[in-house]
Amino acid sequence: MKSIKSIEESGFQSEHVNVMPSVDDVILDIDNVSISYSGNPAVKHVSFPIAKNKITSIIGPSGCGKSTLLRSINRMNDFIEGVTVDGNLSYAGQNVYSAKIDPVEVRRNIGMVFQKPNPFPKTIYKNISWGPQINGFAGSMDELVEKSLRQAALWDEVQHRLHESALGLSGGQQQRLCIARALAMEPDILLMDEPCSALDPISTSHIEDLLFDLKSRYTIVIVTHNMQQAARISDYTAFLEMGDLIEFGVTNQLFTRPNQKRTEEYVTGRFG
Amino acid sequence: MKSSLARANDNIQKRHRKAGLFRLLCASVTWLGAALLATLLIQVTLDGIKWLDLQFLTSFPSRFPYKAGVKSALVGTLWLITMIAFISIPIGVATALYLEELSSKGKVGKIIEVNIANLAGVPSIVYGIIGLAIFVRGLGFERSLLSGALTMSLLILPVIIIASREAIKTVPMSIRHAAYALGATKLQTAWAHVLPASFPGILTGVILALSRAIGETAPLIMIGALTYVAFLPEGPMDAFTALPIQIFNWVSRPQQEFHELAAGGIIVLLAVLLTMNATAIFIRQKTEKKLQ
Repeated sequence: MKSIKSIEESGFQSEHVNVMPSVDDVILDIDNVSISYSGNPAVKHVSFPIAKNKITSIIGPSGCGKSTLLRSINRMNDFIEGVTVDGNLSYAGQNVYSAKIDPVEVRRNIGMVFQKPNPFPKTIYKNISWGPQINGFAGSMDELVEKSLRQAALWDEVQHRLHESALGLSGGQQQRLCIARALAMEPDILLMDEPCSALDPISTSHIEDLLFDLKSRYTIVIVTHNMQQAARISDYTAFLEMGDLIEFGVTNQLFTRPNQKRTEEYVTGRFG
Repeated sequence: MKSSLARANDNIQKRHRKAGLFRLLCASVTWLGAALLATLLIQVTLDGIKWLDLQFLTSFPSRFPYKAGVKSALVGTLWLITMIAFISIPIGVATALYLEELSSKGKVGKIIEVNIANLAGVPSIVYGIIGLAIFVRGLGFERSLLSGALTMSLLILPVIIIASREAIKTVPMSIRHAAYALGATKLQTAWAHVLPASFPGILTGVILALSRAIGETAPLIMIGALTYVAFLPEGPMDAFTALPIQIFNWVSRPQQEFHELAAGGIIVLLAVLLTMNATAIFIRQKTEKKLQ
């Protein structure tokens, strides 16, 4: 099965897939993953694949476990006490929770952008350069900073103030800086935890446009509570409710012809 | 007949009166403290100011009041405070960083935490006894600057650790997460982000602790710092005296002139203290500005 590109969505000149990802396309396989906080289950036996160079969105009502699931992918849950993860999160042929794997190594390859912009209280330049620097980047740092900021569509706005504090940027600019910071590590996968929830509509549309451009080079997994956003930007969508995966599928199909009644009720806004 | 609302209005006026009284009480207590301090300062200044001249700062102690000065005590204090800073700041901050950031939080951490809090309340004379037993006799450092600095460092370490931990706790979790998500280790995160962000708070704690050390007398007397020193220490192993000891010595003499000399010594001590505090505030504001 090969992914066939088709349908032009009205409003967006982008191409969306309409078939499930083939085995070759899968970069990360979430297989029967359960997560609990001190014994309270938050995610139950969830399985779905993440396709390479595609945007996968995870949607669901508040408290459904979508952020928990996302944070388990790059082992950010390790910092919360009492979290246990069962099942297999297979990335590059290995379970990221296997004892042989160093979580630091996982996070170098799987980047993350958080719900609220969280730039370091340092200069714009240092925000980008610190990650590559501690990981032994040997090339030209100036070039890398410029490239990362260009990819995050922020270069034109900040090129003359690279050595000013990042805290002087607007919320939307700060979030794009955080995206640039993650991109500077050239991650295989970029995880985004409701990256637009703290932003105004204009900043949000900036970031959505940006995600489209990034898709050719990066794999993106985005958690969002905004269904329109998921429908607009993602190729695949997973719908979670109360820790259960209700439905996973091609975004177009999931929003227009869902297989499950619960999905239909949620995407048509009858609850949640 | 009054409505219930009218009665409530009566109540409000009563409450306002009560609030006014309480405010007055708080204000008078505040001003009482300030007034006492001012009286003390004025008294000391009036007594000591006439002795305060270059000769006072550049002379060794003497049994003739008009020849006596604080040279050896002032130099001893400066030596002592510098050595205390070099010993206690790295150990204190590293301990706080370990307890807050690097160690896995468990029972052992809790026990250490309670112990440190208790140590902060131990009377300084007890530290003097420990210093005498361990540094002066046990390790054979004699009555040296090193013994004094080590003893004082023990005394202020709990304060530095507690203040540094509080400062580290105020650094937002989101900054740590941002660093971890870039593949940083805990140590890299602590060093590059947590420590700089908590620096102003740590500095405040350090200065408070050093100010305490500079005024302490009991532990120094206990470890046998000399009261009459007519030479300047040239290294950490030399005998020494310090300003509080010199002041204590002068006050305990019967002659009026020596009491006034003591007041002069207090002014010098206060000047050293205020200079330290001012420097700290200056550095803190500079770094805080840089962060914004």
